[in-house]
Amino acid sequence: MIKFNKVTKTYGEVCALKDVSFEVKDGEFVFLMGPSGAGKTTILKLILKEIFSDTGEIHVGGVDVSKISEKDLPGFRQKVGCVFQDFKLLNERTAYENLEIALAILGIPEPKWKERIDKVLKMVGLQDRKNLFPSQLSGGEIQRASLARALVVNPDLILADEPTGNLDWEKAYEIMEVLEKINKEGKCVIVATHNKEIVGKMKKRVIKLTSGKIISALNKTPDSKS
Amino acid sequence: MNYQTKSAITSIKRFPFQALAAIFLLTVTFLVVTILSVVTYSSSKVIKYFETRPQVIAFLKDSATAETISALQHKLQNDARIKEVKYVSKEEALSIYKDATVDNPLLGELVNPSIFPASLEFSLSDLSRAQAVIEEVKTEAIVDSVGFTASLGGEKTLGDVVNRLRSITLYLKLGGGFFALLLVGTSFLVLVVTLGMRIASRRQEVEILNLIGAKKSFIKKPIVIESIIYVLIGVALGWLITLIVILYIAPSAINYFGEIPILPRDPLMFFSLFGIILLAEAVTGILLATLGSNLALSRAGRKK
Repeated sequence: MIKFNKVTKTYGEVCALKDVSFEVKDGEFVFLMGPSGAGKTTILKLILKEIFSDTGEIHVGGVDVSKISEKDLPGFRQKVGCVFQDFKLLNERTAYENLEIALAILGIPEPKWKERIDKVLKMVGLQDRKNLFPSQLSGGEIQRASLARALVVNPDLILADEPTGNLDWEKAYEIMEVLEKINKEGKCVIVATHNKEIVGKMKKRVIKLTSGKIISALNKTPDSKS
Repeated sequence: MNYQTKSAITSIKRFPFQALAAIFLLTVTFLVVTILSVVTYSSSKVIKYFETRPQVIAFLKDSATAETISALQHKLQNDARIKEVKYVSKEEALSIYKDATVDNPLLGELVNPSIFPASLEFSLSDLSRAQAVIEEVKTEAIVDSVGFTASLGGEKTLGDVVNRLRSITLYLKLGGGFFALLLVGTSFLVLVVTLGMRIASRRQEVEILNLIGAKKSFIKKPIVIESIIYVLIGVALGWLITLIVILYIAPSAINYFGEIPILPRDPLMFFSLFGIILLAEAVTGILLATLGSNLALSRAGRKK
C-alpha cells in the first residue's frame, strides 16, 4: 500500500526526515511512534502530498506520489481518510455537516448520506452531538468528529495523526477499537502517536522514529516473510 | 436545490452581518450605476434633440418653382453633412405662425400666407460644418436667406452658437464616458474587495477542502453562488430605489425640460427602459461576481 524509499525532507535547515525507507502492506495496522519532532506528521503529510519530499520516492497504492498531477490530486486524496493533528474541521459547519461535505466531495447521492453518517457517528459515539458546531464540542468530541469524517468516505487508507491526543484512556482505547474494527474490514491504518500505553495495548506493528530517522522495527511486519 | 447552492445559502444565513455589509455596499454601487444609466440616457436624448431639431432654415424666394424647390431638396438630401430635410410651404408656415400665436388670435387673423416665405428646414450631422453648409446654401439661386435656429440664447454670431453646442455635446460625451469608466472600475473594485473580505474569512475552509479531496470547482461553486446572490440582491435594491426616486421626480423633471424628451413619456417605454437597465445590470453583475470571486479566490490561494 505504501512504500517510502530513501525519503528526505527538510524545512529550511531543519531535517525532518533523513533517508527514511519503509513499507506498509495492504490491510496493515501500523503505528508511527516517536517523540515530538521525530517526523511522524511529516510522513503523513508526504503521503497525502500536502508537502513534497526533497529526495526519495513515495508510492501509495502503487502510484508514485510525486507524479500525481494537480488535476488528479483531489481524486487521490478522496481515497485517503485523514484525521489531522489539528482536526481541520470546518468551524462554520456542524459535526453532521462536516461529514456531509466529505460525501458531497465524493459525489455520493444525497439520499444515501443520512444512513452512512448516522452509522459512523454512532460508531464514534457522537450521534447526540451531531448538530453542534466544533466550537461547541469538547476536545475529545472534535477528535471523534474528525475521525468520523475520515471514516464516512469509506477510504482504502486511513491516516490518523495523534487521534487520541486529547482523550482519556478509556475514550482513547474506544477510538483505537474503532480503528481496529475498520482495519479488520481490510483497510490500511497508519496511526502517528507518542502514546506508549495505547501502542503497547494494541500489539500492532510499530515504526519508531527519532530525529527524522527510523530506529526500530523498521521494514518488516511481525508476520512478514521477508 | 443542489448541495453547493444550499451551502451558499447556509453560509449567508450563518453570517448575516457580513452578508448585510456586502449587500449594502453592492446596493449603493448599483444605485449609483442605475442613476448614472438614467442620466446617460437623458444626456443622449438631449444631444439627439439638439442634433435632430431643424437647425438651419433656408427661406426660399417667391419666384422658386416646384421643380427648382424639389431639385434643391433632392440635392440637400444627398449631402452627407445634412439630414432630415423638410419642405415647409407658405401655408404650413402660416399654420406654424398661428399655432405659435394661439394665445393672441388677432395676430393670426391679420396675416395671410403670401407674407410667409416657403422654406427648406434641415439639421446637420455635425454642427462644426454648419458655417460651410450655410454659406453654400446661400449661393443657391432660389434661396433668399438662411437662418440658424439652434441658438441657446446669448450668442451673437453663428460661430458662437456652433461653439456652444459643440462644447455641450463634447462635455456630455466626455462626462458620460468618464463616469461610465469610473463606475465600471469602482463597481469591480467594490465587488472584489467585498467578496475578498468574505473569502478571506473562509481561507481555512478552502485549505481544508483541498486536503480532503475537493476539486477546485467544488470549492469555487458555493463561493461564486454566494457572490452572485449578493450581487443580484444589490442590483435589485439599487435599481428599485432609483426607480422609486425617478418615478417621484419624473413629472417635475419632464415639465422642467419641456419638449426635450429626457425620459420616455409612454409608461410602456419608461418601464422598458428600466427593464433593460435591470437586465444589463444583472448580467454585468453576474459576470463581475464570477470574475471577482475567481480573482479573490486566486488571491486567497496565493497568500497561503
